[in-house]
Amino acid sequence: MSTLDRTWWHKQWRHLRLWRRFFAQAVVRETHFRAHFLTTLLVGLVQLGLGIVPTLLLFGFTSEVHGWSRAEVIALVGVFQIVTGLLATFVAPNLNRMTTYLTEGELDGVLLRPVSSQFYLTLRWINVAELTNVASGIVVLVIGLVQADIAFGAGQVVQAVVLVTCGLVLLTAVWSAMSFLAFWLQSVNPIGFVFLNLMEAGRYPLVFFPAAVRTFLTFAFPVAFATTFPVRALAGDLGWEPVALGVALAIVAQGLVRLVWRRGLLTYSSASS
Amino acid sequence: MSTLARNLRVVRRMTAADIAQQSVYRGAWIIFMLANITMPIISLLIWRTALASGAQLPVDERYITTYFVLLGFVTMATSSWMAGFLAQDIRLGKLSSWMVRPASLLTGFVANNLSEKFLKLFALVPMIGIVWWIFRDSMNIPAGPGRWALFAISLLLGAMLVFTIDILIASLAFWMDDVSALVQARVIVASVLSGAVVPLALMPSWSKGFVDHQPFRYTVSFPVEIVAGQLTGHELLVGLGIQLGYVVVFAAIARLVWSAGIRAYSAVGA
Repeated sequence: MSTLDRTWWHKQWRHLRLWRRFFAQAVVRETHFRAHFLTTLLVGLVQLGLGIVPTLLLFGFTSEVHGWSRAEVIALVGVFQIVTGLLATFVAPNLNRMTTYLTEGELDGVLLRPVSSQFYLTLRWINVAELTNVASGIVVLVIGLVQADIAFGAGQVVQAVVLVTCGLVLLTAVWSAMSFLAFWLQSVNPIGFVFLNLMEAGRYPLVFFPAAVRTFLTFAFPVAFATTFPVRALAGDLGWEPVALGVALAIVAQGLVRLVWRRGLLTYSSASS
Repeated sequence: MSTLARNLRVVRRMTAADIAQQSVYRGAWIIFMLANITMPIISLLIWRTALASGAQLPVDERYITTYFVLLGFVTMATSSWMAGFLAQDIRLGKLSSWMVRPASLLTGFVANNLSEKFLKLFALVPMIGIVWWIFRDSMNIPAGPGRWALFAISLLLGAMLVFTIDILIASLAFWMDDVSALVQARVIVASVLSGAVVPLALMPSWSKGFVDHQPFRYTVSFPVEIVAGQLTGHELLVGLGIQLGYVVVFAAIARLVWSAGIRAYSAVGA
């Protein structure tokens, strides 16, 4: 342990306090750019509307697909919007800078600070305006749940929240690992596009895909934990096993990303000095 | 030498130079094209599932499959990404240095468009080939070379149409400070109306009259429809006529707006 923190817990607490400062600063910053806030809101709403077009068209031709009704898929689109909104708020502004950090040598300045460099690179910047998409996602989710006439208890809400959290952790881990490839590839700017395009699969229930793709979307690119499983949990047809699996996978993924980061740092030879 | 021949020669030289320069980023093009075919594949799987579970679509499985397998290729081949860059060159005064050169600023953008597409082809064609092979049993493949020739012509016209629409939008930078919102609006509107998200054949019947005749259909959907089937010989000819008409009309408007803009241009940063 460094001399800065007495125990491991003190270290986590210090990082949490630091993150709160990042957030407060981001909120202040956002108030300076009100036009940015408004355009983010408008673009988000238009994209939400367009994203739902294929679903609405599809259910114009049939009333249910593999046991999913239109209302349930709309609830799922709501969860998708919440998850992408959270990623766009807290993770995207950081991982999109990865190439700059490495090629401009900005990482040097981070490594000198008394802070976990992986934490700093993954969570330093926050785009508060994207939280509007989380809000619109919640509205869509509620509309879907009401239309589908889904009644759920407290236990199911806990299941859903834990699953969404696991999904977020897992997706962040995958995106981080993809971005950390910058240590070896130098430029990873287009990797964000691949990630966001693969994310689109999360707009649809897992059973809409062939079996092999389902495995891919559960274990390799685990978007299923972020959207399909939470909605099924709310509908009450999911046990605790997937929840436990999600937590276990999230822990393993964090460990693996940590490993990739450490290996990557070893190859880093600074760009500015 | 005629202006056209000179401009063509400039475009050819600049394209060659651009290809040499851009091929440094080979890895990036592969990743870009991977992102490009992801959405069509997701849509393909979703609509096939819908069909298999008994949805009554106005088109069959072969049409859907062929449509989405070709979609990634056609959106790439007819795409244009220059509006934001051109607007920036106008706003920041880079246009000034081109006004004293014996070729238009636009030749640079044509060369950039052609060279990037040339390099993207190498990454994209093998990927499309693999997807095609996986779904080979339900692909519609036109018999004669005739349809493929029409497909190629229509692809070229589609690319010209998108490019002129982009010039038109970017030219507004002569009068407006920020066109990025317009550029974004164009991308969003086009993604639905061009058939890049959902095949236009699946649009509700009340919208058919509008959907089938608006210009964006001729940027992506129409070339794909030529191969995927359903179009009769008559519809094909009428479609190509409309496409050509749109290219001419948009080119004329873009030319008018561009030359009016050049006259209004006040050379920022000179």
